[in-house]
Amino acid sequence: MALEVVEVLAAYGRVTALRGLSARFAPGRLTAIVGPNGCGKSTLLKTIMGFVPVLKGEIWLNGRAIRSMERRALARQVAYLPQQHYSPDYMTLGELIALAGYARYSYFGGPTERDQGLFRDALAAVGLSDLAHRQVNALSGGQKQRAWIALVLAQDAELVLMDEPVNHLDMKYQYATLELVRDLTAKHGKTVVVVLHDLNLAAAFADDVIMLRDGRAVASGPVTDTINRSNVADVFDVDAEVYSRNGRMVCLPRYAPEQSGPA
Amino acid sequence: MRQRWPFLIIAFFLFSLTLLASLSVGAKPVPFETVFLTFTSFDTNDYAHAIVWYQRWPRALIAVYVGAVMACAGCVLQGLTRNPLSSPTTLGINSGAAMFVVIASFVFGMNEQAQGYMALAGALFGFFSCLLVVRLVGLSQDPRRLVLILSGALIGMLYLSAANALLLSDPELRSNFLGWLTGNLNHAYAGRLFDYWWIGASALALLFGLARPLTLIVIGEEKAASAGVNVVFVCSLAFMAVAVSAGSAVAICGPLGFVGLIVPHIVRPFVGTSFIFSLPACAVTGATACLLADFVARFAFAPYVVHTGVILDLVGGLVFAWIVKRYYLARNAGSWT
Repeated sequence: MALEVVEVLAAYGRVTALRGLSARFAPGRLTAIVGPNGCGKSTLLKTIMGFVPVLKGEIWLNGRAIRSMERRALARQVAYLPQQHYSPDYMTLGELIALAGYARYSYFGGPTERDQGLFRDALAAVGLSDLAHRQVNALSGGQKQRAWIALVLAQDAELVLMDEPVNHLDMKYQYATLELVRDLTAKHGKTVVVVLHDLNLAAAFADDVIMLRDGRAVASGPVTDTINRSNVADVFDVDAEVYSRNGRMVCLPRYAPEQSGPA
Repeated sequence: MRQRWPFLIIAFFLFSLTLLASLSVGAKPVPFETVFLTFTSFDTNDYAHAIVWYQRWPRALIAVYVGAVMACAGCVLQGLTRNPLSSPTTLGINSGAAMFVVIASFVFGMNEQAQGYMALAGALFGFFSCLLVVRLVGLSQDPRRLVLILSGALIGMLYLSAANALLLSDPELRSNFLGWLTGNLNHAYAGRLFDYWWIGASALALLFGLARPLTLIVIGEEKAASAGVNVVFVCSLAFMAVAVSAGSAVAICGPLGFVGLIVPHIVRPFVGTSFIFSLPACAVTGATACLLADFVARFAFAPYVVHTGVILDLVGGLVFAWIVKRYYLARNAGSWT
């Protein structure tokens, strides 16, 4: 599943969010999008999904322009986990997961045998098989986040886009959740694009990283080649020590209280 | 939701029972046998048959229609606005329809059928004016969307007082509308049911058909769109269906309040949020609730008959207070979203 964004200009009303952004997402890999607040990370995902109009440029999915695709056809190929979603009272986990297959159902039909199998597998993959009858709102924060990942998995799309899936989670759940995201590529062979706030999480889990600033891609490529001192300084305006430890990139900002004051 | 099927079965059983009771019980009790005979071999000379056929049956049908339509409308509105207080009454739909009917009659002297179509237009007008107020105030800042309900209440009061002001202008016409304006189930309105039933029926069919995409929209517009739902199209269709069907109910028997608010709250704990089950359950339970309210209206103050709308307003006011307490005031208020 090849996704390519070519010189895309996108705007919310009069506010330009992406200014000629180009990026390639390699199939079967986990790509993290990082950058400072308001650099267009979430907007990039929303533009790919067609929620923000493309003013210039084109987004290609397997050689087809994404904006020419119908919603249901797109949903069969791309699954998306937004930053904001709701879990209404009195909805069970099983019911929630069954919504994922909507794009495959006929207009008045429901889930087929194959769909039911997919839902079971998705719940098993996130370790919630026993809780299908439990109400979503009765789940813990970490379980809830796993439920949303199962929802994405159950959609059975090749390409998965996730907008800050580990926000509001504590450290343990951040790592547990990202391990599941990692499994989406490693075990399920999906192409995953995930927006992350924390450069160190991106370094720990992603194969590739794309660093954005002011609606443009400043640097992109494999994690070990891309996360370095000069790129971090260019993108985040932070002087950081970047080093490799046990084969993992670590980025440690230099903190000098007497110069910059408490951050 | 393990209680889903038992609830649906019990709800349907209760509905049949109430329907039968409302045909049989009354100032002149009619035995069940005679009720059945009325439908199988109607005898024009039999007084009991006439009562059932010309009075109780139309009255019950109106109750069923209004109850089903209003409850489903409330269910969809509460889901799509993610607000436990949404209903045709609290979002200006009923008052808009009522005002348009009064205007049609008092200002333009339109006939009954034209008044009905004005009610449909008025329902949409009421709903859109509520949304307009929300837009002016700015909804986005308020996670619990109280602004929406406050705007609805404001629009409701405004339009109902406009209707009332018009009523005062013509004492002769007034008496026709005074009962209607509080919501009144009456066999005299059977003709209107005959005119408009298809509106509610097709609206409900449409909403049932959209049950799955509508449920997806409840968990988030972007999530729904990414799962393949055309959110704008589905929402517009659903809101149209809701407003038009509620408007048709108002056209028949006036703005019968609060069924749309209460019934979804009764149904949801048993059948869940998914519209695939909650809509049919709401339709049956709403019809039962209206039949029961009508029952109380006929007997609570016998030999006087109270308007069903008054009973529903009383119960509805209490439930409204309970919802506010549960979702807005309690320390660990029930989570809605």
